[in-house]
Order: sequence, then structure tokens, then C-alpha cells
Amino acid sequence: MDLDLDVKLAIYQHFAQTTRRPAPDEIADRLEVETPAVLDAYRRLRAQRVLVLAEDGAAIRMAPPFSGVPTQHVAEVEGRRYFANCAWDVFGIIAALQKPGTVHSRCEQTGEPLHLAVEQEGPEPSDWLFHCAVPAAHWWDDIVFT
Amino acid sequence: MLFFRSEERVREWCQEKRLPVRPLVRLDQLWGLATAWYATRLQPIARRPQPAEMRAIFARLGLDGDFWDPQADRFG
Repeated sequence: MDLDLDVKLAIYQHFAQTTRRPAPDEIADRLEVETPAVLDAYRRLRAQRVLVLAEDGAAIRMAPPFSGVPTQHVAEVEGRRYFANCAWDVFGIIAALQKPGTVHSRCEQTGEPLHLAVEQEGPEPSDWLFHCAVPAAHWWDDIVFT
Repeated sequence: MLFFRSEERVREWCQEKRLPVRPLVRLDQLWGLATAWYATRLQPIARRPQPAEMRAIFARLGLDGDFWDPQADRFG
């Protein structure tokens, strides 16, 4: 395996195991490589739209479906609470972990809370809706807004 | 990419934000999107869907139109 793939998998494993973003030196320690090599891999993964980095170029803002920062979208799986980037990604965390979970979020207009059980076959019946304001061709123009 | 309690709440929000109302997605359709994008995300084989794959995923879930076309230059 190449370093970029190793780094990508290590990031996702860290999120899955801890619920939080890894620091670059944590990835370096896990892979037994130097931190600058990890930061170089971060930059290549950002160019491939695998990661979104904070302005410092070192902190992970997004490793979709995981969010590196707290958000209103939380996936609860086996007692662990993971922050997601958006409504799509909060389902995505449960899909990625391949375990039943609960989605916690809210109606963006009213603030009414949403708590939804999700099995591997899908969510419990619900008439809530998902809405995306940005067309697919422009999702990555500003992925944080999307 | 947000949740709303109903179509009426979507329309209110879009009006307040001065944004067009986009196609509404049921949560069972959203689960289809989530699994298509992320079910293998923790595995070495994971990769983001390419445009043709995206179109096929959207079509399979009943999400049609230019809004869902990753290479469209106009949006319904």
C-alpha cells in the first residue's frame, strides 16, 4: 500500500475508534513515519477531495462522513457520538460503521429535534425530508457551505 | 445538506434565505445515498463515485434531473 492510502485509512480508523479527528503526529506515530510526510499526504488527499483541512493545513475539518469539528448532526453508535458534516453524512457514518445507530439532528427551520433509529436496512419510517441547496455539479465549490 | 420536518418548513427556510427550493429527498432515499457513498469508506477499496457512477446511483434512487447531474451547467 502507498503512504496516501495508509494515511487515509489511519484517519478513518482513528475517527471510528475515538470519534475525534487525529492530530498529524498521531497518524505519524500509528504509521511509524515522520510528521512532515503525513502533512504532505494530507495535502494530496485534500487535492483528491478525500479531506478538507482547516486553514492551518494540518487540522482535519472534514474526512467525510466524519467531521473534525462539532456540528448539529450526531450519529450515536454503540454509545459513541460522532459528529457529521451534514444530514447526508450523519447517515453515512452509520453506513460506514456498519452497525445500528441513532441519528440526532434538527429541523433547520424550526429547531425541532430529530432522533431517528437507523438499522443496516435503513431508517425507521419517517416523513422528515432532506434538502440540499446546492446542485451536485457545485458541491465542491464550497463544500463547507454545501 | 439539511433535515426539515416537512415540505412547508423547507419552503419557509428557502424563502427566508432567498434560495430556490431544490428537489426534496425522502429519508429512505437518503439512506440509499449514504450507503452508496460510504458503506466501504473504512476499507482499502473505498473511493469516491465518479460522475457516471453518481448518475447511476441517483437514477436508481429516483433522483432525476439536472440538479443531480454532477456535470450539468443548468439546474432544475
